[in-house]
Amino acid sequence: MTQLDDMRRAIREADPQLSRFDPLPRIICLDDFDRGMCGWTQLVGNYEDSLDAMLPGYAQHSQAMLSTLPNWDFGSHGGVDGSYALKIATRPKKGAQNVAIKRLTFRKPGPIRLEAYFTFKPEATDLQLSETDIRSFGFLYDLQIGDSSGPGDRVMPHLRFLNAQDGKHLQKWQFKRKTTPIKPIGNAGKTITHYHLAPDDWEDLPGGEQRLCYNEIPTKVNWHYLRFDFDLGSMQATRFQVNDRVFAMDGFDCIRIPAMKNLWCMLNLCFFAETDTDKRAFAYLDSVCLSGEF
Amino acid sequence: MLPENLTAVVARNESWTGTSASEPYEAGWAKEAIVFVRALKQPKGSLPKARIEISADGMHWCAEGSEFALPAAKDAVTFQRLAHFGNFVRVAATLPEGAEITVLVTLHLKA
Repeated sequence: MTQLDDMRRAIREADPQLSRFDPLPRIICLDDFDRGMCGWTQLVGNYEDSLDAMLPGYAQHSQAMLSTLPNWDFGSHGGVDGSYALKIATRPKKGAQNVAIKRLTFRKPGPIRLEAYFTFKPEATDLQLSETDIRSFGFLYDLQIGDSSGPGDRVMPHLRFLNAQDGKHLQKWQFKRKTTPIKPIGNAGKTITHYHLAPDDWEDLPGGEQRLCYNEIPTKVNWHYLRFDFDLGSMQATRFQVNDRVFAMDGFDCIRIPAMKNLWCMLNLCFFAETDTDKRAFAYLDSVCLSGEF
Repeated sequence: MLPENLTAVVARNESWTGTSASEPYEAGWAKEAIVFVRALKQPKGSLPKARIEISADGMHWCAEGSEFALPAAKDAVTFQRLAHFGNFVRVAATLPEGAEITVLVTLHLKA
């Protein structure tokens, strides 16, 4: 630790909002949803001429919400601090997904760190624990090298907590290295599409079993800490932590597809939720801190 | 600080037949809203009025009382102003047999 590191740490720890994170030296964004949507929006699919061209996986997406986590039995739950969190809600159909995205670019292909506090619950339509109603909660980056960095890939690290599938409580982290075949959209030759959140091809993260805190009635939630370290230089994950557990990332890999002609230096960040029953899945974020070493 | 102001697309290219509604949207932070409905295709059949519905929990809904025409032609737009809607809000319509409309529903919310 240098003197500068010590000073940075002291300043961070004096700020209650930052003190619950361990960011790299430069904070790219610290999104506390008490300040609005902070640039998080819905992931719309590609199309040309008609919205009918959008793949169904994307067509189901809708806008995230500023939520107080209101419950019919005890009222607003609130965030980690402040009143609001970002809520990602699926439709009430088994297998439905929804995604919230923040679209950035990067200025140095070095280490970045994502930290967030998250929780999830199904819509409390039944007075049951409903712990197997959510299929998954997860996040991903959509990345591409800079235009002068030579031939490279578009790289999409995906991680999801597979909570349950077909009613079985599985509780494990998974990753993905395959997307769906790339399809052209329209006739102009400018647009292609693929659905990287398709339900197939998820693989178990070795040692990725984890039991989370899931409170005892269908409305109580507890917030979880998440941290994911990734190096934009090597395009490799370096560390993944949820609550007290740090997972080995040797067995992890990303979706890698050829670089696209208009996505240079892209740094997109997404969180998603998926339901395993005909009941809405809700994922909540409060807050998200993205930092980098530059 | 400027007040919060959000455009939320809550139904995009959805075909409504029978009893239909936009997904519940939580907007308790907003003091006012305008709902716009645009027809993305030429509607079919006899169109009913759309209604605003509100909810405490996103599951149990009441008619708020506002009703407004659905757009009668492709790319036509209708709207409804709203205040005092509490928390969850949605647009609902009950279309008769043979009627169909493909909608883009947007909420414009201001704190």
